[in-house]
Amino acid sequence: MAEAMRATVASLLKGIERYNPENLNTLERYVDMQANENTYDLEANLAVLKLYQFNPNLYQATVTAVILLKALTNLPHSDFILCKCMIEPSRLMEEPVSKVLTLAELLETANFNLFWTTLLKDPDLLIEGIVGFEDSIRKFVCHVVASTYSTIRKDKLRQLLGNVTEAQASQWVSKYGWTEQLDGYVFIANQEENVKTKNITEKISFDSVAAIMASGR
Amino acid sequence: MSWALDSEDVYNNSPQYGSYYMYGDYDMSHTGDPRQDMEYERHYSSQSYIVPEVIKNFLLYFQKVINQQDLIEIQNSYEDGFNTLTDRFFKNSPWPEESVVAPIVGNDSRFMVLYKELYYRHVYARIQGGPSVAQRFESYYNYCDLFNYILNADEPVSLELPDQWLWDIVDEFIYQFQNFSIFRHKLGKKTEDEIELLKDNPKMWNVHSVLNVLHSLVDKSNINKQLEVYTSGGNPDSVAGEFGQHSLYKMLGYFSLVGLLRLHSLLGDYYQALKALENIDFNKKSLYSRVPACQITTFYFVGFAYMMMRRYQDAIRTLSNILLYIQRTKTMFSNKTQLYDQISKTNDQMYTLLSMCLVLYPMRIDESVHSHLREKYQDKMNRMQKGEMSEFEASFAFACPKFLSPVPPNYELETTAKSKEPYALQLKVFTEEVMQQIQIPIIRSYLKLYTTLPIAKLAAFMDMSDDDLVTQLMCFKHKMKNLVWTKGTSGLDGEFQSASEVDFYIDKDMIHIADTKVARRYGDFFIRQFHKFDEIMRSLKAT
Repeated sequence: MAEAMRATVASLLKGIERYNPENLNTLERYVDMQANENTYDLEANLAVLKLYQFNPNLYQATVTAVILLKALTNLPHSDFILCKCMIEPSRLMEEPVSKVLTLAELLETANFNLFWTTLLKDPDLLIEGIVGFEDSIRKFVCHVVASTYSTIRKDKLRQLLGNVTEAQASQWVSKYGWTEQLDGYVFIANQEENVKTKNITEKISFDSVAAIMASGR
Repeated sequence: MSWALDSEDVYNNSPQYGSYYMYGDYDMSHTGDPRQDMEYERHYSSQSYIVPEVIKNFLLYFQKVINQQDLIEIQNSYEDGFNTLTDRFFKNSPWPEESVVAPIVGNDSRFMVLYKELYYRHVYARIQGGPSVAQRFESYYNYCDLFNYILNADEPVSLELPDQWLWDIVDEFIYQFQNFSIFRHKLGKKTEDEIELLKDNPKMWNVHSVLNVLHSLVDKSNINKQLEVYTSGGNPDSVAGEFGQHSLYKMLGYFSLVGLLRLHSLLGDYYQALKALENIDFNKKSLYSRVPACQITTFYFVGFAYMMMRRYQDAIRTLSNILLYIQRTKTMFSNKTQLYDQISKTNDQMYTLLSMCLVLYPMRIDESVHSHLREKYQDKMNRMQKGEMSEFEASFAFACPKFLSPVPPNYELETTAKSKEPYALQLKVFTEEVMQQIQIPIIRSYLKLYTTLPIAKLAAFMDMSDDDLVTQLMCFKHKMKNLVWTKGTSGLDGEFQSASEVDFYIDKDMIHIADTKVARRYGDFFIRQFHKFDEIMRSLKAT
């Protein structure tokens, strides 16, 4: 459904039509669809926020919160910032939007343990309606782990993923092609390849001196 | 279907959406129309003012070269003639009124629209206290007339103007919109009459109409298609269409894209801002980049948008490119005072942006830009490095564009504080981002000293638990891995990269650190000196 909508919505976002508030209902329904079907369309969601910005009387806090939560599912991309820049400051303090902001802060600072406990504490948070939210966050966790570690303790990894079971953790490990070692560590990658001391020496290209040589004739 | 009808059909039947202003259809007999009062004043003042002969001659000459389409002479009159006479006769007072000038030029309506464009621009720039509400409205109407003339024509209008002027038109149009949006929020200083006038004219300088103009210019010129073809090496004229082949439409279309970049940035919509330029390959010089002010505006807003989006590497690349360009071409502008001042200001703003980005994301940049930065901004950078938020805030305040609210204030309820809100929001987003990273420079300064370092030891240095430190290290990694543009024309695309100076990874309980060692560069310096010397030699020979 959402995928079929994508093309329809794209036509609503062309040129000046993007600012037509009559499209708002369709776009809001599309936000719901993205939540239900685990798809994502940043551009359409930003168009919703833009319409709220131009027509403050049409603002809807719940839709905004869903848009922000969906933006979190696309971490490490900075979509969340893009959305935040278009919401009135006073609206940012209201629930449920303010709660999403707290979650974002924890994720952005890689404070994953606190993120999961905060999420648990607040069962009525909107993430119920957002299919695949937790797994999307786990993907982001894996992204951060993959760039930080060469080996990590498996129980630490489990914790970061939100206290998942041993078996679940193993699934994530194999999904990313990591290997479990006998000593309780997970081998991520040989980071020496990616992270090494760079010696930058100057290279002078032929092009840059060609002009000089030509002028010296 | 004509352009004005087009927009009317779409939007007239929606009441909340009626805020679109239809160009050209305004009615002089409207009640509450500020024009009537103006008309009276104008008549009154015109009797007592005699236009000097030299001004008359200038106007007639200006009119003549425009009608003859003598581009070089138009450019001279526009850039030199008008400014010289301004300095001589109208330093702080407006140019002669429409009612005085119109008879002189035989009521040439097209010339009058162009004249008034300059007239109001001069009022905005030079008159103490700025334009009155009525003048703001008048100027808006005049832009409507101008764009109407250009966009509603059945065939391309026979008018060519210098690129610089076309850029100035788009630039000024957005500037006056921005100025009005901020002006209407400053309720404290307004008389009741002024507030009445604003309330009665909600469509004036409406954000929709400004967007409408820019989008229409883009569409009319097929500029996006033209740019696509141009980038792939084809002939833009093949897709330009009837209008887009004409320089007037083509350039207005191009400048409108930059206008959209700016307008969206002012509204905090950085995604749309960059998207407006998705067909422009601004990493390469093109026939579209001949107006320096346009180049500089483009890079400033692109750099700013990247900084806000936490794409520091792209921001740094964009800003240092243009700063280098300014450094090398600055002398070109030194005889144009106004342009020079404007460029100098933007130049300083961009250095400030660059300094913030480099504190957050230290990396190598061009040597000459870097040395200027060291000279002028080292203190500020040191303070930011130490985590002083007030310095970040001050730098941001100085370097950011003037953000604005797209909706009119509630004239009954609001206080002036509301006008600061758009700025406050962008500042908040930025400072919150900086706060999240505030420990990183400190961690980096320790990492720099080692090649390997146990987690526990660094935790002790940082005075935090091992777990908290590991969190900080992951945050470091996350924040330093930015989306970076690699190919294609769209500035939104990119891949995740990390080019920051100090990098590391954790193996069990040990941090392994990789530093960047940079050998001093000589080549660049010598090449530049060669060129300079060569130039001197050549000019010596020529004399």
